[in-house]
Amino acid sequence: MITIDKLCYTSKLRYENAGEKFAFAMITLLFCVMSRSIVVACIVLAVTGILTVYKGGIPFSRYLHFMTVPLAFLILSTIAIVLNVKHEPLDLFAIPIGSLYLTGSLDALLYALQLILTALSAVSCLYFLSMTTPMPDILNVLGKLHCPKLMIELMLLIYRFIFVLLDTAYYISTSQNSRLGNRDYRTSLKSFGSLGSVLMIRAVKRSNALYSAMEARCYDGTIHVLNETYPPKKKVIVWIVLFEIFLFSIMIWRRFFT
Amino acid sequence: MSKKQKKIIVLASMFALTFGIVPNVSAMHIMEGYLPGGFCIAWGVICVPFLIAGFMSIKKTLNEHRNLITLLAMSGAFVFVISSLKIPSVTGSCSHMTGTGLGAILFGPSAVSILGIIVLLFQAILLAHGGLTTLGANTFSMAIAGPFVSYGIFFVCKKCRVNKHISIFLAATLGDLFTYCVTAVQMALAHHADTTIMGAMGKFLLVFAPTQLPLAIIEGIITVLIIMGLETYAKPELRTIGFLKEAK
Repeated sequence: MITIDKLCYTSKLRYENAGEKFAFAMITLLFCVMSRSIVVACIVLAVTGILTVYKGGIPFSRYLHFMTVPLAFLILSTIAIVLNVKHEPLDLFAIPIGSLYLTGSLDALLYALQLILTALSAVSCLYFLSMTTPMPDILNVLGKLHCPKLMIELMLLIYRFIFVLLDTAYYISTSQNSRLGNRDYRTSLKSFGSLGSVLMIRAVKRSNALYSAMEARCYDGTIHVLNETYPPKKKVIVWIVLFEIFLFSIMIWRRFFT
Repeated sequence: MSKKQKKIIVLASMFALTFGIVPNVSAMHIMEGYLPGGFCIAWGVICVPFLIAGFMSIKKTLNEHRNLITLLAMSGAFVFVISSLKIPSVTGSCSHMTGTGLGAILFGPSAVSILGIIVLLFQAILLAHGGLTTLGANTFSMAIAGPFVSYGIFFVCKKCRVNKHISIFLAATLGDLFTYCVTAVQMALAHHADTTIMGAMGKFLLVFAPTQLPLAIIEGIITVLIIMGLETYAKPELRTIGFLKEAK
């Protein structure tokens, strides 16, 4: 039901060491956000795109589709940054409305462009991580980074339950559809309300049953999972370090020498 | 269907007709990479005390009642699923609710802060709503500010003996609106290219208003419907959930 989750299990980069992928995505993301330069953003966009699509084997059309997910937010906030209502026109364009002007400046446009590119490159870093690394692997890495045990355990359980509940919700909405539950707006609102309450009831029942089952299997506060670990490869680490140094030097160059 | 439910549905349809279209929106997550580094860290730091308080209260509850952990996790998953389902809108385009108001009313604000950050992390990784660097800012607006306001309103209304359904509606809607205002402030603080911070805030509020206002109202209506359903069919379950809240 969740496409990204499905894609990451089929990715060709799935069996790389999770720590490597996590570190790569995080450090690159950090550089993107810290530098906010167009050059860095373009390089990152290209590299993570190639890694996810070409090395990872995610279909390109899917990747493009996912890049448009935050588009609504991006368009609206860019409008808010670029457009202004003022008494005097600014340098880029101005549309008179009565005594006021709907206007924008070149600086703001450049700023917005830089922001859009930075945001897109940051999203591509996020996609690299989420389309190559399954959630349990990420949780494993978080555990090694000393995230509190209780949090990890909660996350593992929530991750599992999301799919259980999504399945239930899917069945309920199918049966609602087949009984004309979304005939018009009124019924669809009512259906959604009852879907929500039934889902909650099912969730509580399930959670009770699940705890009994866990306790019957000697649950004592931690869920022990066998982790498949893939040792980090030296070659990959060298490449990651080289790339990050390259990115860092470009960042320095853009900031201090131009 | 009881008379009250009918009334609410008629009201809802009237709202839907007056607002006409609900464009394609999710709840207002700030996208990945949209805030500069300093702001990401600052919002993260602001969240820390709330998260620690939430973590402590959860830990205490769980130490006393070990069996509540599955219920807690189910609640987290429930908030995620509710926020990832398409809610009905007139034109058939898709929009999602935040689910935090519902969570705050059902589970109490301190549990929601921890559940909220986990849900937001999953939304970022699995659905690409929000992001990792903006996790702090999103957590503050959606898992801390919104739920606290919702719960506060719900509590005050309960004290003043306002009709329960009206108070739930107010709590969910105003909580949602508050989340949207906080997000606008967060964006305005970071990005005000050629105006003052107040000016930028006004612009962000204005641009997102057509999507967020109807969404808040629909969210309020749906929250009322869900809680009505629960009260009709699931009194014992509600008591179990209430246990989560009382055991703080």
